[in-house]
Amino acid sequence: MSAITFEGVTKRFGEATAVRELSLDIRQGEFFSLLGPSGCGKTTTLRMVAGFEQPSEGRILLEGEPVETVPPYERNVNTVFQSYALFEHLDVERNVAFGLQRRKVPKDEIQRRVAEALELVQLRERGKARPRELSGGQKQRVALARALVNRPAVLLLDEPLGALDLKLRKQMQLELKSIQREVGITFLYVTHDQEEALAMSDRIAVMEDGVVKQCGSPEDIYEHPAGPFVAGFIGVSNLLGGVAENGGVRLASGVLCSADVPGDCAQGSEVHLSVRPEKIWIDDLEPGMSSVEGTIVERVYVGTTTQVIVELAPGERLVALEQNTSRARADDRWEIGERVRVGWHPEHSLVLR
Amino acid sequence: MSVDVARPSPAARSDAVPARRRPPKAFDRPRFLRLFTGLFFVFLFAPIVLVVLFSFNSSRSLQNFDGFSLRWYERFFESESLRSSLLASIEIALVTMVVATALGTLLAYGLVRARTRWSGALNVVMLVPLVTPEIVAGASALLLFTQVGFQLSLTTIILGHITFSISYVTVVVRARLATISREVEDAALDLGATRVQTFRLVTLPELWPAILAAGLLVFALSFDDFVMSFFTTGESPQPLPVRIWSAIRFGVTPTINAIGSFMLAISLVTIGLALLLPRLLGRRESGMGVLLGREGA
Amino acid sequence: MTEQRFAAGFLFPGGLWLLAFFLVPLGILLAISFGYTDDLGNALYGWHPENYERVFDPVFVPVLLRSIGFALATVALCVLIGYPVAYYIAVFGGRRKSALIALVVLPFFVNYLVRTYAWIAILGDDGLVNGTFDTQIRFLNTPWAVIGGLTYGYLAFMILPIYAALDRMDPALIEAGKDLYGRPWLTFRHVTFPHTFQGVLAGAVLVFLPAVGDFVSAQLLGGPDEYMVGNLIQQQFFAAENWPFGAALTTIMMLFLLVWMVLYLRSAAREAQEVTA
Repeated sequence: MSAITFEGVTKRFGEATAVRELSLDIRQGEFFSLLGPSGCGKTTTLRMVAGFEQPSEGRILLEGEPVETVPPYERNVNTVFQSYALFEHLDVERNVAFGLQRRKVPKDEIQRRVAEALELVQLRERGKARPRELSGGQKQRVALARALVNRPAVLLLDEPLGALDLKLRKQMQLELKSIQREVGITFLYVTHDQEEALAMSDRIAVMEDGVVKQCGSPEDIYEHPAGPFVAGFIGVSNLLGGVAENGGVRLASGVLCSADVPGDCAQGSEVHLSVRPEKIWIDDLEPGMSSVEGTIVERVYVGTTTQVIVELAPGERLVALEQNTSRARADDRWEIGERVRVGWHPEHSLVLR
Repeated sequence: MSVDVARPSPAARSDAVPARRRPPKAFDRPRFLRLFTGLFFVFLFAPIVLVVLFSFNSSRSLQNFDGFSLRWYERFFESESLRSSLLASIEIALVTMVVATALGTLLAYGLVRARTRWSGALNVVMLVPLVTPEIVAGASALLLFTQVGFQLSLTTIILGHITFSISYVTVVVRARLATISREVEDAALDLGATRVQTFRLVTLPELWPAILAAGLLVFALSFDDFVMSFFTTGESPQPLPVRIWSAIRFGVTPTINAIGSFMLAISLVTIGLALLLPRLLGRRESGMGVLLGREGA
Repeated sequence: MTEQRFAAGFLFPGGLWLLAFFLVPLGILLAISFGYTDDLGNALYGWHPENYERVFDPVFVPVLLRSIGFALATVALCVLIGYPVAYYIAVFGGRRKSALIALVVLPFFVNYLVRTYAWIAILGDDGLVNGTFDTQIRFLNTPWAVIGGLTYGYLAFMILPIYAALDRMDPALIEAGKDLYGRPWLTFRHVTFPHTFQGVLAGAVLVFLPAVGDFVSAQLLGGPDEYMVGNLIQQQFFAAENWPFGAALTTIMMLFLLVWMVLYLRSAAREAQEVTA
């Protein structure tokens, strides 16, 4: 049985439609992310699962049971909010105990479970502290403990790491992932940060304008994006315009690149050829690679890697990513203005319409 | 013809960095302002200082201070009718405080959290008493009670006081409520609290500094009120301000100084509590901040 | 139960109270204003619009005009006195800002009657000033005594909104203005005042509206030549026992004030929209 099932869920706010005909199955125990830009409907979807909004059409099932008539305080889900939403007038322990007290759990059990939850998020010693004395990261952990202590069927997380600085965010990502594995609860995670989603999720649903564009594992979504939006949203993607031609794509410059053209692409139809930057080689090409010529116009050093921007034709640019290993630093190899040949293995390219 | 001043860059905003204390140059002319403000305070407090001072005067004179004496206070407390007026004033203020605070708090919550067709109109209805001259409220209250056949008494005074006090409570509590994010209430619901429980266990505890400050403000306003009491009072007992009015009409007597000073003391204690209690009882903000929040009208 | 319906329920107790004890009485006031009195002095309902004609009788018109005049003078004085004080506290008050504002507000918790009566003690013919300087200056029973009393009574209502507006202003704006305009007066005129204008407007409304209906200052500090519409109304209800006429006077005054109330609320709403836009 799925943890959450969406059946044709649509949500309208007056004239605007936030979510369109959403149908998804989220499996028990998986870490599932809703990924997309602001306004794509991911938070609205989360709120519908929590019970703060009701679908305009369609229905939602939690563990197989429909929940239209169930208010948020009776659903077996808990939420971790973006702003933490801790109760300022209660200390950490009482914050965490809140849900258990509502359920009339016996006092000694509450004590035990609260201690366990705080142990899980490594805040055992701050039990008597007030929320205003805590840092952002600590508040986030209290919010997490407060939700998890109730052992919900599903944990909903609404961009919980948004307010943290980069280093802390990366650290919390790993912690959340390991907590989820340890506890085994289904996580439904909302974020606009695609790196975060890729790092943490078992499966991702990429949303745009209320519609799920693609749903799959991080590798699926990254290596085989279904459509230009997903390709553009996830990582950097080079999109080269061209025309489909037997077994390949003829680029605007005239070069024919062999590529796996999907069956529904008619001969001569306009397509995009998509290649990931890290799959592109500069000079020193291997046999069998598709290649084009261009001029290096920019070099951007970002520490571990260097982005090399190659202009193939006016307005058509390719971004290649080279690792700065001790053996080969891109800085030493390429000069701006140099004419080079860039190439990639055909199986690393994708044809998109 | 005014010129648009270019907005300074975000880096110059003072809310990120504490404001530098610029040494005042002649440019700023604080000397004039300081003098002006000083004079202002002198004129502001002079009458009050005088009233208090002369309440301890041993003679009747308003021009010479002839020695310290408590005779006017004795006169005040020995008079049974004045004592019963004092008790009446306190009773009115207490009942008004409790009822108006309750009604005003509920109204504030409704106005902030519910978006109904009536919200806009109700908001205006709530604001109007704040700017209506009291004589209008007083006259119409008098008409209401007499037309309905309700005998004028302490009760009618209380009813009148509650009516104008509700708005003060609503404005103060509403300002505070606006700072409590919806997400906190959502969190409570999410964790299993019903809407009633959420209000009781999460919203009210966050609100109580404002509720307390508003309640004490209502007490002070009711205790000092004259016009509404004047229109709705019965024969006896009459609240202190009404007694003062009658006394003044018959000529200035020093007992009035004692009554006035005593009322000032009570008001000071009340307002002092309003400003200090929130801080004393463990909250960071003072009552002043809470009350002033409302002046963003 | 949805949040909407839950929160809407909260509107009932307070709303019903205001309806019953504020709006309904205003309705009764309006109704009685068209009524008449019988021989026993009881106010009865009827249709006597002549009550309103009587409001504009040449005997009473000066009183109405005087009320408006005194109230306007009070507003002007409150701005002239209140703005500099608010400015000083907001801009130069530093850490003692809150204490200073508390001091400004404090006297207003002394009973209005007692405060006004204190001025009688000071300025009266047998008062402190005349006694100390052995003079016979007639301070009381003059228009300026009443205006002074009104100003003294309502000053806090002008200072608080202006202070709040100044406090909220970004000091960097004043700095920028000084760089641009050089002279303090110009900086004030082009930068500070426009930004605090809404505060001044709020203060003006909070002073003007109650001042028009005030009768305490005029009664205690002035004589029949200084009586305002509030005194007239008070007389109708207590001495002359002519409640319908009193109600008509009150209604006219209320209508006059409503116009300014609406204009102010519109301007405040428009400003709020501009700020959020």
